[in-house]
Amino acid sequence: MGEDRRQLIRSLGFLSSVGISLVAACLIGLALGYYLDKWLDTTPWMTLTWLGIGIIAGFRNVYILTQRELRRQKQEDDQDNNES
Amino acid sequence: MTHPFLIFGWLKEELHLHVGEHVLYTWLVMLILIILALLASRSIKQVPSGLQNLMEVVVEGISNLAEETMGSKGKAYFPLVATLALFILVSNLIALIPGFAPPTANLNTNAALALTVFAMTHLVGLKEHGIKYLKHFMGPIWWLAPLIFVIEIVGHLARPLSLSLRLFGNMYGHEIVLMIFLSLVPFLLPVPMMLMGVLVAFIQTFVFTLLAMIYIAGALEEAH
Repeated sequence: MGEDRRQLIRSLGFLSSVGISLVAACLIGLALGYYLDKWLDTTPWMTLTWLGIGIIAGFRNVYILTQRELRRQKQEDDQDNNES
Repeated sequence: MTHPFLIFGWLKEELHLHVGEHVLYTWLVMLILIILALLASRSIKQVPSGLQNLMEVVVEGISNLAEETMGSKGKAYFPLVATLALFILVSNLIALIPGFAPPTANLNTNAALALTVFAMTHLVGLKEHGIKYLKHFMGPIWWLAPLIFVIEIVGHLARPLSLSLRLFGNMYGHEIVLMIFLSLVPFLLPVPMMLMGVLVAFIQTFVFTLLAMIYIAGALEEAH
């Protein structure tokens, strides 16, 4: 029970934090594009391309983080099965 | 800020110091941690008791987590991770004392922490793999490499932003909610919010250290 509760809080904290990493990457892409546009005077092309890149990067971040968490959980399950 | 009274804010006014309140609170947290460490390690005994016992439990917990997440290679980066964890935890918990504000409720403190982690991951990667570390950014297919490279760079830049914003948003949001509740009904109603504050303090500390460790572990492993 105690172990379960610890695991729950752990996953809760981790998964609730995944969303913002998607948003942050989109924002970084948007900001890069916006200022490049201002600098190079190519409105709106840079903003659009870099926003697209940012969105892709955001999804990639989420994918990497979730994959790692899933792998860790699976490892832990295997350990539990071996012990019992 | 939103606080009705801050001890260090008042002190700053009295002494005409030109540093932010969050810097003063950061110094206080550092002082607390240094004194705690000195007290705990002053008389180390075979069978620990009291303060030494407590600190051993804390350090062992973080150490286990670090080994679990980063593997045996990551053992070398345990001091960084443990420092981050202890500093953030004490900073968050200090908000529970009346008259004290958490330094983590200011974006500048968090940005400093997140940039440390950001710089550290890449230094670790460079140290571990040398120039081959660049392969981490290239992806498996060579003709897609330039595109993947750009995407990876944006993804990596997003890390310090999300790390600092997450901690800042949680701590500052909690402060504001507490202050609003306090100004609406100053009796008993803020208590559940304060309880939530304890939970948020622990969860955010955990998330920050876990993500820092995941990033370092990502830099340590071989390119895919």
